Amino acid sequence: MADKIKIGVVGAGTMGAGIAQISAQAGFETVLYDISQEFVDKGLGRIQAFLQRSRERAKITAEEEQQTLARVVGSLKLEDFTGSALVIEAAPEQLALKRETFKKLDAVCAPETLLATNTSSFSVTAIAGATRHPERVLGMHFFNPPPLMALVEVIQGERTSAAAMEKAMTLARQIGKTPVPAKDTPGFIVNRIARPFYNEALRILGDGHVTVETVDRIMKGAGGFPMGPFELMDLIGIDINFAATESLYESFFHDPRFRPSPIQQRMVLAGNLGRKTGRGFYTYGEK
Amino acid sequence: MAKNSVAIIGRSRLAEELLELSQAGGFEAKIYPDAYAVSVSAPLIMETYAGDKYEKREIIKRLDAQFPSSVILSSCLGFSTSRIASWTTRPERMVGFATFYPFKEKKVIELSAGLRTQEHALQEAETFFHALGKEPVRVKDAPGLIFPRILSLIINEAARSLDEGVAHAEEIDVAMRLGVNYPSGPLRWADQVGLDEVLAVLEGLQRETGDDRYRPAPLLKKMVLAGWCGEKSGRGFYEYK
Repeated sequence: MADKIKIGVVGAGTMGAGIAQISAQAGFETVLYDISQEFVDKGLGRIQAFLQRSRERAKITAEEEQQTLARVVGSLKLEDFTGSALVIEAAPEQLALKRETFKKLDAVCAPETLLATNTSSFSVTAIAGATRHPERVLGMHFFNPPPLMALVEVIQGERTSAAAMEKAMTLARQIGKTPVPAKDTPGFIVNRIARPFYNEALRILGDGHVTVETVDRIMKGAGGFPMGPFELMDLIGIDINFAATESLYESFFHDPRFRPSPIQQRMVLAGNLGRKTGRGFYTYGEK
Repeated sequence: MAKNSVAIIGRSRLAEELLELSQAGGFEAKIYPDAYAVSVSAPLIMETYAGDKYEKREIIKRLDAQFPSSVILSSCLGFSTSRIASWTTRPERMVGFATFYPFKEKKVIELSAGLRTQEHALQEAETFFHALGKEPVRVKDAPGLIFPRILSLIINEAARSLDEGVAHAEEIDVAMRLGVNYPSGPLRWADQVGLDEVLAVLEGLQRETGDDRYRPAPLLKKMVLAGWCGEKSGRGFYEYK
């Protein structure tokens, strides 16, 4: 079925490598691009390590591991995307960089190639505006880590065609994900609706007379959430979480529903970023 | 009534759960639809109405006059415990509790004291919930305390997204279950809890804090006015037989 279909991925970081991996695992010929050989090798290394662990845990066979690896090719040239059904961009979250990337992709890819951005904080419409064919530009927002999270938000920009949405939904299903279509609005579905889980917990902490342990215990023990908001922010990264809130706040023109928390801002300034630094709302031993 | 008895005021699925849990915990418990129906004195009274201020205030005033020595546990979803206590002549025996249906399987229950609540009243409330097999946690006095407050805001944002046409109800729910591992989609969850209860929390927070971040989604208000409160009324964000 899929062995003739080619998918390109721009950016070999955690998200890009993860997306390239699931694409290859689903049987697509996959091209993983980045701006330097070092980045490309790092991304390919991530995929190798993930697949090796999966094989050791008997989740995949040695044959599947080899076949998957054989389907991913590293690249330093966007021209290698020629003939792709879909190119997914997972470059750093900078609007100018993304617009520049899409302008180039628009020039090298035939008009029937779908161009998708994995952005979580920018408008798909703003990125599509850099191209001559905005009707084939859309959002495909994967969740971290892509091999383990089933959801993909498929985002329709102002000028994205219905046919492009349909094709992206089908490809997402073929990659083994559950696609959910949504309009191009700030935070799409998940990042927007989940905001109060973090932000109101921070507000309650700021109100005083309560500890992070108590809030987490209540959200799990009374609410049935799998993790408390403070544990989860430590896992996500306090800086990442704060940036997401700030982006929503700006996008909604300072609506108080999204007002960021000074407590969280201070933690970012202090470098207490959660598990990755060993210190966040909880401490995790020296790092 | 015996020393080990509790009177539960209200007609809701939560009241029924509290009745069942109280009986299983060894209490002589009974449900009364309103304050006027309570015929015998109980050392502990649980008043479970979330919303309408006029109705709740009348119930609380009546209980206050009729049972001067009982500890009163009142649902503080829509009002701070201090405000509920302000309707009585004996604010020192008023304790707030906040939870959403379904409560039976949950481990933790949140309690709050008003500014004038006395320690002994809180301790009696804690002893009662311990006997029901729950872990009571004391938190700061505010409408909806912690879990109902945070969930109500998540539901409010989901209702806004739906109303703005960001995505359909099922899609919003699938996205939140798969994208952030919520135990239920927020709109389905709202239907289970009751949209009127969610609205009570949001209106309570907006009233007590004056902060615009709590303003309820217009769709939520309209649905409650239409009587589409969720599972219990046969229709909410979804339809039920």
